[in-house]
Amino acid sequence: MLVLVVDLFRGPAAGKGPLQWLAALGTLGALVSLSCLNGTCLFSACTVSEPVQSFAGFLKTDSLALFFKMVILLATLLTLLMAVRYFKTHNTYTAEFLAILLFSAAGASALTSAQEIITLYISLETLTISSYLLASFMKKDKGSNEAGMKYLLLGAFSSALLLLGFSYLYGLTGTTVIADVAKSLASQPVSPLLVLSVILIIAGLAFKISLAPFHMWTPDVYEGAPTPVTAFLSVASKTAGFAAFVRLFWVGLSAPSVLPVWMGLFAVLSAMSIVLGNLEALPQRNIKRMMAYSSIAQAGYISTGFLAGGKLGLTAVLFYTFVYLFANLGAFLAIVIVSGKTGSDQIEDYAGMWKRSPLIGVALLVCLLSLAGVPPFAGFSGKWYLFGAAVHMGYTWLALVGMVFSVVSLYYYLQVVRQALVSDAKDPSPIEMNLLEKGVLLICVIFTVTLGFWPRPIMDVAQAAATSLFN
Amino acid sequence: MFPIQVLATILLPFAAAFEFFHNPVDGPNALPILTCFILIPNLAAFLIMATPANWTKWISLFAASLELGLAFRVFTLYQISAGGFQLVEQVPWLNNLGIQYLLGVDGMSTLMVVLVACVYFAGSLISWNVTMRTKEYFVLFSLLVGGVAGAYTSLDLFFFFLFYEFAVLPMYLLVGIWGSGRKEYAAMKLTLMLLAGSAFMLVGFLAMYFSSSVHTFDIRILGNLSQTNFTPEFQNFWFPLLFLGFGVIAAVFPFHTWSPDGYGSAPTAASMLHAGVLKSLGGYSIIRVALPALPQGARHWLPILVFLTIVNILYAAIVALKQKDFKYVIAYSSVSHCGAILFGICTLQVAGLNGAVIQTLSHGIVAAMTFALVGLVYGKAHTRELAKLGGLGAAMPVLGGLFVAAAMANVGLPGLSGFVGEFLIFLGSYRSGFHGGFNIFQVLFPTAILAIVLTAIYYLRLVQIVFYGPVKDPHIKEEAKDGSFIEILPIAFLLVVSLAVGLYPKPFVDLSNATIAPLIDQIGGFK
Repeated sequence: MLVLVVDLFRGPAAGKGPLQWLAALGTLGALVSLSCLNGTCLFSACTVSEPVQSFAGFLKTDSLALFFKMVILLATLLTLLMAVRYFKTHNTYTAEFLAILLFSAAGASALTSAQEIITLYISLETLTISSYLLASFMKKDKGSNEAGMKYLLLGAFSSALLLLGFSYLYGLTGTTVIADVAKSLASQPVSPLLVLSVILIIAGLAFKISLAPFHMWTPDVYEGAPTPVTAFLSVASKTAGFAAFVRLFWVGLSAPSVLPVWMGLFAVLSAMSIVLGNLEALPQRNIKRMMAYSSIAQAGYISTGFLAGGKLGLTAVLFYTFVYLFANLGAFLAIVIVSGKTGSDQIEDYAGMWKRSPLIGVALLVCLLSLAGVPPFAGFSGKWYLFGAAVHMGYTWLALVGMVFSVVSLYYYLQVVRQALVSDAKDPSPIEMNLLEKGVLLICVIFTVTLGFWPRPIMDVAQAAATSLFN
Repeated sequence: MFPIQVLATILLPFAAAFEFFHNPVDGPNALPILTCFILIPNLAAFLIMATPANWTKWISLFAASLELGLAFRVFTLYQISAGGFQLVEQVPWLNNLGIQYLLGVDGMSTLMVVLVACVYFAGSLISWNVTMRTKEYFVLFSLLVGGVAGAYTSLDLFFFFLFYEFAVLPMYLLVGIWGSGRKEYAAMKLTLMLLAGSAFMLVGFLAMYFSSSVHTFDIRILGNLSQTNFTPEFQNFWFPLLFLGFGVIAAVFPFHTWSPDGYGSAPTAASMLHAGVLKSLGGYSIIRVALPALPQGARHWLPILVFLTIVNILYAAIVALKQKDFKYVIAYSSVSHCGAILFGICTLQVAGLNGAVIQTLSHGIVAAMTFALVGLVYGKAHTRELAKLGGLGAAMPVLGGLFVAAAMANVGLPGLSGFVGEFLIFLGSYRSGFHGGFNIFQVLFPTAILAIVLTAIYYLRLVQIVFYGPVKDPHIKEEAKDGSFIEILPIAFLLVVSLAVGLYPKPFVDLSNATIAPLIDQIGGFK
């Protein structure tokens, strides 16, 4: 956390080229520091015995936070790579962009360790306000301005709702430390005020993860914002949102008397997201809009695992988030590269990728089909665990909905694959990528395929992280 | 020179594979023969990606011959007297979720392993003249085989599902890129319907896992749990869902609509592999998973589900009569024969189930052979419309003769494999003991026999129109040549296999019975 804050100040300096490397180095440094932070190695899946605390215990970095931070920082790194490519073709000021992106990432990271409601809110706002700026970054582009405006208005409104919910919660419990909130609620009967506050909190936070029916901003913002920002929003922002949900609901509102208040509601929201996200994606012609609706549906799937809770559910959520990171960002990297060359985001302009750049064709195939949940890609394993957790906790109907609509989703993912691998190119000129981009695309593909067959490494880490909450 | 090259590429790896795995494999020094069986097509795919295009076909043929050698070795290694699952390979994969890497064969799987290898071999040869995007074609084809090979040998539901679905994606690309006619529509329909069926399968598997007290995906254990762990309500709910989920890939009515368009538009080797091997996964899965785990549900539902299979048999046969496209006739005939397989399963009787297994093997070989022939005719005449095809027998005598043989195999002429399967199925239906006094099956099986008559009608009609009869398009007659060595070889090979099963079925039926007899005892079927 501290390392991240230091890196931020590298951002706003003059000069472009070295900046990008500084920013990347900074994020990499933060990632490395993750593993050193508690003297434990994240990848050997040891649980943290003494979590590091700062700000009087308001920020505690346990294994759960470490896992989420890892996802967020990886997302930031990949977004930086995309930004480099994007700004080459769009020629705007990159210095501020990098700074704001890093601020976003800092906010998101802080969110994952927040143990206290105000800290959670502050980090959430840091993340969100930076995202408003990022979304409207292309000042001359109408789409970008519209995206930023919509995001700001709806986001501000949701923040207000969230804060209202928090204030009621404080009123009921007299404390803002999440763990103490849980203790206080356990000793109280469930009052209508509690129900109201829970509903307000859900409304406020569901905006962040674009859970239906709080998803209306997603298609427009994703389509209008610069593509690297869309990628960042779809992964890092969503992950941070889920981290907030996990902390608040499975720690704070987990008393047996309180559970029925939000579980039923959440199940309905998940189902709605899955159904609406997939159905609305079917007629899309713009790939960024399609990815927006797809991310709504993905939020629905993750919510299914979140709903199941317990070690199994949380492990499934963490694992799927990791898988989702690589699949989504791989797809977005390919999108950035292709639209850099063709200048268009329409799906039909992806025709003939097998000839123009086989690597992009394969990357799109692997990443999109992983999102659809087709074996042998990692998304399939992820969905197996998510739906398994749901069935285990008695939400078989939700698992069935999820599976059936995964099949529906295959249709729109296959549209892109069809253009890329089956159709003939309208313009057969090859698409060049530099070595770094090729390498990263290849890494995304390899991770997505390997985790499908051999999910064990990440599963173990995810399980260790989940244990810190649910042992 | 070329025929010698081809024969060398076939016989050398075949003999090598057969000899290399000579020693029995259970025990500490075991050679992982089944893992090799799955790995070879997948490694071939990677090798093809990495090597120049003119090596592609030879690599594929080499791999297919290796696979054939392995399959025949598995066939000889399985000991019927010992029974159960042999050649088992077990590696813990994800213990906390009850998932293991578990491979093994029993009698029925051994037959399926042989089927996969035979069709892979024939398909590699038939694809010899693919010129467009050859490398990608063979990569996808090899991956398709790799997936299905894994499905037939997996004993863990997670890996079974993984390999089952593995095969769907290459099929989409094969049909979409190399297909003919309405290929993109057919490819999308096929993929979506097959995945929808598997959605139900998946949730069924998860339900079985979580309802049993022993949290495992091991098929062997799940099969023995039924009495104590799955309540009758659970079984009655899940059995039809699993049956229909598996049935989608077996093209059970009303989920068969992907099959005519899919096979009609697919490139030849893809149709061969899909109709021969992938479709059989449906019937195989029901016998492997649904029957042992949910016998109560089976006894409750099969007398009702059998009507769907009868519709399959009769309806598909009648529709085949009216088709104007050569390949669609064969596609519908495949749906009809798979209906017979499912009918055999529904009888829940020893002979009926044995018949279903043998018919699966037979249908696999014969459908592959027939699709190969159709593909060759299409390649030479450049049309599949029956109105335009005629009198080709003079131009292609050998292919014509082989087609007559294939037609007879489809009809179920004694001496060929189809007869064995069908006879056992009908015997099973006569002896099936549902409902004591009023035996539905005794009423139903005459209707199924009617299907044989219909099959004979539409096949003989095909033979007459396409190969005999007047020449309708002299242009075609001039250009069409008879099959070359490389084209006739796979068809002749499949015909020989079919003859082997038909003339001396004992080893095959014994292998099948090694699985079926204990299964019937365990689930309380009929003898």
